[in-house]
Amino acid sequence: MKTVIALVVFAPSMLAAQHGSVGLQVAFGDYREVSSDLHYRGSGGGVAGSFTYKKLGIEASVAGITYDPVAGSSATVSFKATQLDVRVRYYIAGPVSAEVGFVNRKVKPEFEAQSMGAVRAGARMSYPLGPGVNMGLRAGMLFGSKFSGGGTVSGVGALELGLNMAVDAMKGRLRLTGDYDFQRIARTTGSGPGKADVPIQQALGRVGLAVAF
Amino acid sequence: MRHPVLLVTLLLVPAVLGAQTVQNATLRRAQTAYDNLDYRGALTLANTAQRERLNGFDRARAYELLALTYSAMDSILKAVAAFKEVILLEPERELDPNRTSPKVLSAFSVALTQVLVVRQLKVDSTDFVGGQGDVAIRYVVTQPARVVTRITGGAAPIKVDSSVANGQVNLRWPARLANGDPVPAGNYTVVVEATIGQNNFSASQPIRVTQGAVDTLPHLLSLPGYEYLPETEIPPKSWKPMGLALVYSGIAIAGTSALSSGDLGSASFREAGVIGGGLMAAGFVVMLRKPAPQPARGNILYNRLLREQLTRRNAEIAQDNIRRRQQVALRVVPMPRTGGGR
Repeated sequence: MKTVIALVVFAPSMLAAQHGSVGLQVAFGDYREVSSDLHYRGSGGGVAGSFTYKKLGIEASVAGITYDPVAGSSATVSFKATQLDVRVRYYIAGPVSAEVGFVNRKVKPEFEAQSMGAVRAGARMSYPLGPGVNMGLRAGMLFGSKFSGGGTVSGVGALELGLNMAVDAMKGRLRLTGDYDFQRIARTTGSGPGKADVPIQQALGRVGLAVAF
Repeated sequence: MRHPVLLVTLLLVPAVLGAQTVQNATLRRAQTAYDNLDYRGALTLANTAQRERLNGFDRARAYELLALTYSAMDSILKAVAAFKEVILLEPERELDPNRTSPKVLSAFSVALTQVLVVRQLKVDSTDFVGGQGDVAIRYVVTQPARVVTRITGGAAPIKVDSSVANGQVNLRWPARLANGDPVPAGNYTVVVEATIGQNNFSASQPIRVTQGAVDTLPHLLSLPGYEYLPETEIPPKSWKPMGLALVYSGIAIAGTSALSSGDLGSASFREAGVIGGGLMAAGFVVMLRKPAPQPARGNILYNRLLREQLTRRNAEIAQDNIRRRQQVALRVVPMPRTGGGR
């Protein structure tokens, strides 16, 4: 009974302070590994959701992209990458928010490219361009990277950079979104004389339409 | 020199006698004799009329006729004595200085100084809030005398003033009881008593006091002369949205270029270009659009100050209205007099 009363009393004010959105995305990307010979480009789709409560924000997206070797590439087989991104953001001051989360990318067929997982930490600068138009720039590092083919990354070897925008439409009920993510992972394999640099680099663009609530 | 005075006197007597007509036949004959310049006959008939049964008006007219006749005959002392009787009978009697000879006026003035009467007792009609105003009372005392002014008609007489006075006297009565409360509504009488030794005279003026509620002030919806200012203002159009979109996109593209590994060939700018281009397009549209209203801090503070002033003023009005509801509005109106003094 007390819980019901508490919900009735506090729910309206809680709802007023929170925003959320769910939407579909079109994704397109560029993936390179080891050398410029292993170069793929692809496209696909995905879903994304976000939830904001006071200073706290959570974003999650899943994108499935089918990468095909570009012309002139030594690669011959396409692969499908399914990438899960989760970001938890906390507003600090001015335009700056701190961001933590993780990334997980599964590749099929396995070993055509590297599946990987890592924890991310960084910062985001957000700025309202005008009524209903927001943009953000983020930069961060990936920690604890794990790869399906093994290998390690130095402490500052995995970096990511992002640009995002959101344009509200229909009085904020719809939201047109655009996200750009760039990852550069300085992966190495082996040790000693057999140590080899096998970097991974992905540029991923996503354009979507979300329903806001 | 005597004839012009007599002529003027003759011409003015009917007007002086006023609108009320003389009832006694002997007095009318005396008046006719005076009009025909038969002063001896006028004196004889006027004295005869004095011995007859006369009403107050006729008796005053008989003495006045005697006074005028004695003045015409240069018997000033007798004229003064006759005028004294007139004044005692009709204390409010006045002679028109523009239509009466100086000799007659002089005799009348001398007579006024030789009798004790209170004349021209007047109470001004007035409205005021109980305790914040007063009633003006004025009268003329013809001789130096102890004059006591009272208000009667209530539970107990209220003494307004007691002093030795002569000539014009002006008093102010606050219309309050001894305990400070406003006098209750009702009919009262202003009584002025003048005393010199055994000689005394009193005059009175009835008044009506009514009570009413004091008007309260309405609450203010705005301060006169001050208006609220808009709390938002539309800033001028600026290049800032477009510039910021350009900077952010540039940082993203430059960052991509800087972070990309040299071993992997030149970086792909397709993805950054699409998102950055969309961002710049959005910035361009925002730049062209009417800017969103921004809070005007100065106006907000001004309006807050205005609201505080209005609240404070209304609180003062509310306090004032509480006080006003406890007050009484008094109206004092003089009523027609039923008789003269004595």
